[in-house]
Amino acid sequence: MVRFRLLPWHYAVRNLFRRPARTLLTLGALTTVVVLILVVVAFVHGLERSLAVSGEPDAAVVFSLGMGENLEYSAVDAATRGIVAANVAGIRSRWGVDYVSPELYLGTNIELEYRDEPALGLVRGVTAAALLVRRNVQLQHGRWPEAGEAIVGQLAAAKLGLPPGRIRVGDVVRFEGRSWRISGVFSAAGGVFDSEIWCRLDELQQAMKRQDLSLLAVTLVDRSRFAELDLFCKQRLDLNLQAMRETEYFANLGRHYRPVRMMAWVVVGLVATAGVVAGLNTMYGAVLGRTGELATLQTIGFARRAVAVSLLQEGVLLAAAASLIAAVFAVAAVDQMPVRCTMGAFALRIDGGTLLVGCSVGWLLGVVGTLPPAMRALRTPLVEALRSG
Amino acid sequence: MMKRIALFVALIAAVGCQREPAQPTGSGAPAGGAYRLPAEPADVHEVIAAREQAVDGEPIVVVGRIGGSANPWVDEAAAFSIVDCSLLACSDREGDDCPVPWDYCCESDLPSATLLVQVVDDEGRMVPTDARELLAVKELQTVVVQGVARRDEANNLTVEATGVFVRP
Repeated sequence: MVRFRLLPWHYAVRNLFRRPARTLLTLGALTTVVVLILVVVAFVHGLERSLAVSGEPDAAVVFSLGMGENLEYSAVDAATRGIVAANVAGIRSRWGVDYVSPELYLGTNIELEYRDEPALGLVRGVTAAALLVRRNVQLQHGRWPEAGEAIVGQLAAAKLGLPPGRIRVGDVVRFEGRSWRISGVFSAAGGVFDSEIWCRLDELQQAMKRQDLSLLAVTLVDRSRFAELDLFCKQRLDLNLQAMRETEYFANLGRHYRPVRMMAWVVVGLVATAGVVAGLNTMYGAVLGRTGELATLQTIGFARRAVAVSLLQEGVLLAAAASLIAAVFAVAAVDQMPVRCTMGAFALRIDGGTLLVGCSVGWLLGVVGTLPPAMRALRTPLVEALRSG
Repeated sequence: MMKRIALFVALIAAVGCQREPAQPTGSGAPAGGAYRLPAEPADVHEVIAAREQAVDGEPIVVVGRIGGSANPWVDEAAAFSIVDCSLLACSDREGDDCPVPWDYCCESDLPSATLLVQVVDDEGRMVPTDARELLAVKELQTVVVQGVARRDEANNLTVEATGVFVRP
């Protein structure tokens, strides 16, 4: 319980407007710091979410033994699809159709008719069974590809270094020595498939002169049935297969980005430190120039703690305003902005957690940037402070 | 008042710290002890030799190191892969700091030197317990497995093990 009389709230507010230029500069600096923190945290959250939503809990991938997570180098015999479906009872089936998706996955140069240089893109040859297994994938525009056609994820343009949504239905792309007309655009709930180009498996195999597959993606009856698939792969060493839960596969991919995430948090720390230093510099200047005023307040009866609380109010009010402006800017201009990376593309996420971190750091800057100069000013002996004013 | 609070907190901490975590027994869980052999069986075959010579349905004893993939275990089942002892794991190679040395990623013909071990009960059913928990074993340990050889239609060899000896 507060046992001393506080200064009026509006005293702190009016003080901010006494020196508008300095206040605006500090507000600008704090807003910039909070925006930077929000962007970096949005990067980390976007990357994590992209991997988290990509894997289904009841799905598994079957690929070549010893390939790790490098599906591009995996080679699975095409006949494996039928063998796996026939021998693993735990695979989901509906109306006689097994939830087994044979896929051919590769990174290759993509040529675009409106771009001079090719760009590295991700292509996946699929059958209609992919929609059974990849349940997050939904066609937003157009239709499933027919011969000579392909569909693109909503972040495929970003992966290729183009503005979001630049690749549209009717455009023509060229890869593996063939032209492909875009027949549709799909979304994959922000997962890694959003940055891919999907075409018909048989056509991609023809274009690449390959008969094998990169992987089989399967949906299990429930996630507890994974052991049956795993056991089958370990028994049938002649097929040279390994099975992995899809969630584990994407979690392993995420581990490769752990250094990136750690570096991002280091950047957050550095930017926050810079914000604190800037705030300290500004507040020291502001408070030391008011030594006489603060001493007068003490002379007329306000306790040192009350004066310190008032100074804290000013700092926190400024920091809160900066956090609010930064949050509005981030939501309006940064949220869902696509970012390219080696595994594809993902969107920055200004979600609740991001805003909480950014605004909390902003408020903390207000406190940390105000307290030291306030304490320094209030430690000055009263008579000396009155003389200096 | 503060002293009483401090004393209370200290008592709570002392009680909490005295609780020791359960120590794993050296011979595995009580149920797993039934599958651990006290001594190494005779007539041991290496994995490669066993894959060539084993006859479906005949008893066999095979020695190998646990591994052969990044995850040589099967979830919630007493099954694991073993690799012929002549192959070198990544950790056996000087200067190799591979984080998953038991995947034998540096060996070229791994499938021909690997087989699957399934620990079965008296009725021939696979024990539904993770082998790590059942037998207290881990990757790259050398085990001698005693059981029955099973061949599938593709001539892959699986050993239905009734006993496992872990070499020190």
